[in-house]
Amino acid sequence: MIRAILRAQWLSLSIFRVASSRRSALITVLIAALWYGFWTFLAVVAELLAASPGLRTQVETWLPAGLLGVFAYWQLAPLASATLGASLDLRKLLVYPVPRRSLFLVEILLRLTTCAEMLLLLAGLSIGLLRNPAFGGWSAVTRVVPAVVLFAAFNLMLAAGLRNLLERLLSRKGIREVVALVLMLVGVLPRLLMVTGTGARRLEHAVPTASNPAWPWGAAAPFLLGRHGGTWPWTAAATLAAWTAGAYLFGSWQFARGLRFDFQAAQATAASARDVSWTDRLYRLPEFLLPDPLCAMVEKELRSLVRTPRFRLVFVMGFSFGLVVWLPMMLRGRLGQSAISGNFLVVVSLYALFLLAQVTYGNAFGFDGSAAQLYFAAPVAISRALAAKNIAAAIFISLEIAAVATACTLLRLGISAGQIAEAFLVTAIAALYLLGIGNLSSVNYPRPMTAQRVSGGAGRAQGVMFLLYPVALLPVFLAFLARYAFGNQIVFFGMLAFAAALGVAVYWMAMESAIAAARNRRETLLAELSRGEGPMLAD
Amino acid sequence: MPDFPAIAVHDLRKLYGDKAAVDGVNLVVPRGCFFGFLGPNGAGKSTTIRMLTGLVPPTSGSIELLGMPLPDRELEIKRRIGLVPDESLLFDRLTGAEFLEFVGRMYGLARSVAVARAQSLLDLFELGEKRKLIAEYSKGMRKRLAMAASLIHHPDLFLMDEPFEGVDAVGARLMKEILLDQVRRGATIFLTSHVLEVVERLCDRVAIIDKGRIVREGSLDELRAGTESLEDVFVRVVGAGREFHELEWLR
Repeated sequence: MIRAILRAQWLSLSIFRVASSRRSALITVLIAALWYGFWTFLAVVAELLAASPGLRTQVETWLPAGLLGVFAYWQLAPLASATLGASLDLRKLLVYPVPRRSLFLVEILLRLTTCAEMLLLLAGLSIGLLRNPAFGGWSAVTRVVPAVVLFAAFNLMLAAGLRNLLERLLSRKGIREVVALVLMLVGVLPRLLMVTGTGARRLEHAVPTASNPAWPWGAAAPFLLGRHGGTWPWTAAATLAAWTAGAYLFGSWQFARGLRFDFQAAQATAASARDVSWTDRLYRLPEFLLPDPLCAMVEKELRSLVRTPRFRLVFVMGFSFGLVVWLPMMLRGRLGQSAISGNFLVVVSLYALFLLAQVTYGNAFGFDGSAAQLYFAAPVAISRALAAKNIAAAIFISLEIAAVATACTLLRLGISAGQIAEAFLVTAIAALYLLGIGNLSSVNYPRPMTAQRVSGGAGRAQGVMFLLYPVALLPVFLAFLARYAFGNQIVFFGMLAFAAALGVAVYWMAMESAIAAARNRRETLLAELSRGEGPMLAD
Repeated sequence: MPDFPAIAVHDLRKLYGDKAAVDGVNLVVPRGCFFGFLGPNGAGKSTTIRMLTGLVPPTSGSIELLGMPLPDRELEIKRRIGLVPDESLLFDRLTGAEFLEFVGRMYGLARSVAVARAQSLLDLFELGEKRKLIAEYSKGMRKRLAMAASLIHHPDLFLMDEPFEGVDAVGARLMKEILLDQVRRGATIFLTSHVLEVVERLCDRVAIIDKGRIVREGSLDELRAGTESLEDVFVRVVGAGREFHELEWLR
C-alpha cells in the first residue's frame, strides 16, 4: 500500500514534469544543485573536521552544540521559512483500507522533504568520525550508524508530530494568530526580561548547556564519539533511545488526532447579522485612489488573502521570526554597533518581504487555482490583473513593515522615525525588483496552492524567488555598502535613487515579458493552476 | 435583429501533440437560439467551449462570436458573454455577495449597480447567507452562484458547460426558467449537458460531437426519427460497443 501511495505521488509529479517546459525543469535542477551543493560542501567540511585526529578535543567539545544546531534547523527551519513540507493528503487516502501505522510511516518519511540538508550533514559527520582512528575508526560502525539513525529518527518523528500539531492549531479560526503570537512571544521573551530588568545572566543560567547528556543532542554526541574509556556508551544510547521512543509516541498521537480533525469545520465562518462591518470599509479604501476594474481586483485580493490561513501565518511570521532571529545579538549588547544590527529594521523588513513572496507576488495566481480563468475570461487585460495583485502585495508589504516598526518600538529597541522611513524606502525599492521577478515567475511557474491548509507549496516559483532574491537585493546592498565605505548620506541616497530608477525599468520590462508569457502560455498556465495533486500535498 | 449568427465556427481544430481534441468543427448558431452541444465524455465539448471563450487558442480554424472575430476583438466579445464553465471560476475566500459584486465590476458595472444586482441575484438563487465563504458552499450552490455570475452583466451570449450538474430539482427548474426567459429576450445560449431530457425540453437545435467531429446537427425534429427519443439517437450515434458482460469477474 505504501508503495502504491508513493508511486501515485511519483506519477503525479511525472505528469506535471512532462507538462512543464524544459526551461522550468532546468531552473528546478539549477536551484536544487545550488542549494544542495552548498549543503554538500558543508557536509564535506564536517567530514574533514571530524576525520582530523588533531581536532579530537575540539570535536568532542563542539559536537553537542553542532547536533543542537541540527536539531534546531530540523524543527525550526520549516517554521521560519513558513513551509511545512510535504504531507499526506488524508482527505484522499482515508477512504482506502490502509492501516494507520502505514500512513504514519509515510508521513515520517515525508519529513525528509524539509531536512535532506541535515541528513547530508549527518552523513558527512559520520563518515568523518569513522575515518578518525581517535574515535575507533571503521570498527566503530556498529556504534556510529545506530547513533545517527536514532538521532535522525528522533528528529523525523518529532518533526512529524510538531507539524501535525501546528497544522491543526494554525487551522483553527481565531486560534492560529494567537499561536503565532505565542511563538513570537516565546522568541522575544529574553528581550522582554532584559528590558524589564531581569538581566541576561540569569537567563543564561536558566538555559541548559548544549552538552547536558539529558538532552537528545547531548546524548547523541557521546553515543557517536564512544568516549567513556572505549566502552560502549550505554547510558547515552539509552537516553537517546528513550527520546526517540518519546518522539514516536508524540508523533503517532498527533498523527492520530490529525486523522480525526475536520479542517473545514475549524475554518467555518460564524454567521453574522451585520451587513457592512468595519473591515468591509477598510477593504473598500482603494476605491478612493483606483478605478474599476483595477480597484475591484485589488479589493478581491485583500479580502481573499486576509481570509487565507496560510497567508495569515506567513504574514505574522514575517515580522515575528524576523525579530526573533536578531534577538541573540541584542542580548549581547551589540545593537547599533555593527553594520547589520544598525540596520535591524531594514533587515527584518527585507526578510518579511522575502517571506511574503511565496503567498503573494511569487506565485500570484496560486490561491486562485482554476478560478484564475476568470481573469482571462473577463474583459480585462491581464496586465491589469498582475498590477492589481502587485498593488495588493505592496499594501501587505507596507503593513508588514509597519508591524515590524511597531513591534520594535514596543520592545524599546531604539528605532527612530528616520530608520522607519528608511526601512519603507529601501523595502519599496527592493520590492520593485522582486515584484517584477514575481510577475515573471507567476506566469511561467504557476502552481495551485491550498488555502484551507497552512502548508501547500509555491513550488518552483518559490525556488526562483529564492535564487534571484540576492540578485534583486544587490542594488540596495550596494547603496548600504557605499554609505558604510564613504560614511556619507548623500552618496547613500544617490545610490538608492539610482537603484529605484533601475528598479522601475526592471519592473516595467518584467511586466511586459510577463504579459507576453501570459498571452503565449495561457493554456499551460491555466492547466497547471487547475491540476489536481497526488496523494500528498507537496511543498 | 442583425443578420450575423451568434456563433460561427469554421474548420476549428485543437491538437494536443498528434491527438486531435477538436478535429475540424464547423458550426453556425443563430442569434436567439437555445443550442445544445452534446457528446460523450472526452468528445471535445469542453475544449470547444474553452476555445470559444478565448481560454484556449485553437490550432487552426476561425471563430466569430456576435459578428466579431476572435481573438482580434477579444475584449469586446468578452463583455457580451456570460460563462458557466465546467471548472470552478469562483474565488473560495470571498462570500457570494462579494464575488458577484467583483464579477459585475469586472464587466464594467458601477459598484452600486453591481451591489444591487448581486443582492437580487443572491435572493433569486437563495444564496442569502451573507457571511458564508464560497469555500463552504455545496456543489449545487457553487453552480447556482456561477449561473448568477453569468447573468449579472446581462450578456447576449451564454456559454455553459454542464450548468445543471449537482443542482437540485428546485434550483434546476429556476435556472431553466431564467434561461428560457433570456432566449425570449433575444439572447443566445450554447449549452452542454449529459442530461438529455433537459436538452430535449429546452433546446431548439442540437449538435452531437464525437471524437472531435460533429456527427449530427439539426433541429430536434430533424434528429429524432419517428418516436425515437434524443437518448436513442445519441446512443445510436456514439454509444456502441460497451460490453460489460465480457468481464467474467464482474458477474
